[in-house]
Amino acid sequence: MSMLEVAQWLSQTPVSVAIQSALWLIPLLQTIHILAIAMVISSVFMIDLRIWRMVSLEPMADTAHRFVPWLWAGLILLAGSGLTLIVGEPKRSLPNPVFQIKMLLLLVAIAATCAFQLSLRRNSAIWDDAAGRRLMQLLAVGTLVLWCAIAVASRWIAYIKVG
Amino acid sequence: MHSIGDLLRWLEDSAFAVSITQSDWAFPALETVHVLALSLVLGTVCVVDLRLLGWASRQRPYRELAREVLPWTWIAFCFSVASGGLMFITQAVEYYENVAFRLKMTLLLLAGLNMAIFELFTVRDAAKWGQGMSASWRAKLAGALSLSLWVAIVFFGRRIGFTMMPE
Repeated sequence: MSMLEVAQWLSQTPVSVAIQSALWLIPLLQTIHILAIAMVISSVFMIDLRIWRMVSLEPMADTAHRFVPWLWAGLILLAGSGLTLIVGEPKRSLPNPVFQIKMLLLLVAIAATCAFQLSLRRNSAIWDDAAGRRLMQLLAVGTLVLWCAIAVASRWIAYIKVG
Repeated sequence: MHSIGDLLRWLEDSAFAVSITQSDWAFPALETVHVLALSLVLGTVCVVDLRLLGWASRQRPYRELAREVLPWTWIAFCFSVASGGLMFITQAVEYYENVAFRLKMTLLLLAGLNMAIFELFTVRDAAKWGQGMSASWRAKLAGALSLSLWVAIVFFGRRIGFTMMPE
């Protein structure tokens, strides 16, 4: 069964029809999606500022403690609103190659976030001391670029017509 | 005699605006920059406002936190205005007459006013808002207003997208 067939089937379910017919729901979901993007990207940015030593040097673990919860809360909101948007407009997303690329990039970004947290838990000292700092700072740039790429892919979904 | 309408039509008909409209990628690129920039504005404003409200980052002294974060807010805001401005000129007349757009601009002005009042008067007590210390009630009010206004700005920004006729 192809993605297009799945999307076709999904678009005819009562849930999908209900989401599409509630005129206010999709704009509301998109607003939540934007607010959640703000939570995620700003949390990543604030942690990156600390990694790049552009803010006062509190322990890395403290910075993570302040912002990682917001990152995850944002991701949960993105998942919830995103899932509802997919169910409401399955043909716009599921068979769309740009959407699929976006999901792949998202998986990588989430993996990077988990890796960061694990690394902190195992040995937070390596984040605070000078050795290996260049690598951490490059990784920080890389993940920020990754999140921006996800935003670019998201906008491009609308411009690729499928099926 | 020149009116606002003439100026808007002139902007919309300019070669520059037309080139953006005719390009396949320019407008989506501007929208993407706009979303990323506004996300950073909202997020960094949130960090500072939550400190004012005493709900987060309480262990950081206010002035230090504001000094570190707000420059980035301004940089992100410049990108928002630039990308927003370039989108605006492509349909200047329609945007100007769009209710959601007008509401958003009004809210932006109010957010600016709130910030100006805070920076000119309320922040004089900021030395007291040190590590673990609460800000004054006026500061908390400014923080709460700021947060509410910016969320509303995002909401009406999205509304513009839904109420404009596609080019």
